[in-house]
Amino acid sequence: MLIEKENITRFIPQRDPFVMIDNLIAADEKGFESTFEVNSENLFLENDVLSESALVENIAQTCAAGFGYVNSLKGEGEGQLGFIGAVSRLTVDSLPLNGANISTKIEILNTFDNIHLIQGSAYSNEEKLIECQMKIVIA
Amino acid sequence: MNREEIISTTKRFLSEEFEVEESTILPKNNLQKTLDLDSLDYVDLVVVIEENLGFKPTADDFKSIDSFDDFYTLVEKRLA
Repeated sequence: MLIEKENITRFIPQRDPFVMIDNLIAADEKGFESTFEVNSENLFLENDVLSESALVENIAQTCAAGFGYVNSLKGEGEGQLGFIGAVSRLTVDSLPLNGANISTKIEILNTFDNIHLIQGSAYSNEEKLIECQMKIVIA
Repeated sequence: MNREEIISTTKRFLSEEFEVEESTILPKNNLQKTLDLDSLDYVDLVVVIEENLGFKPTADDFKSIDSFDDFYTLVEKRLA
């Protein structure tokens, strides 16, 4: 475990109730992994089903935490502001229910200047929920 | 790869990636305007160059590129 739930907001700009990531469990120059438990207080639950927009946010916040963590190791501070520049190649296979544990994997495909092209995928019980590419701009 | 091969190869993948007619990719034409690139699109340009030509251009490389001619010269240098 690299960052636990209690400390995750040191590395992402979002605050409750918009935090969609609990723990950062892996991070290096190639990618990141996070976990997130869907609870009954989640704003994006409707009829006990989490929306796809929450999953897209989960992927983006995993990137923010991952880049923040990696940069903190380089002495470049924590919680750099990151923005979603674009979302593409989005496919939604299924949506998680209240209580689901989500595991999210990010692969950094390419970096140009301060723009990162990433491939993100979120799983629950090893079943793929969603995948997409994002351009993340680090301010 | 000589300059003619560079031109034909780059025309093919640039027109496909950025959905422009090959006929609009002319040596004196402005690369950014012709391909309708915004700042985010440059990462896509880097990806297709790396995939098709095997090198990764830097932000500094693009500062010296105005026309496709400039781009072909960069490719020539990097592949030399």
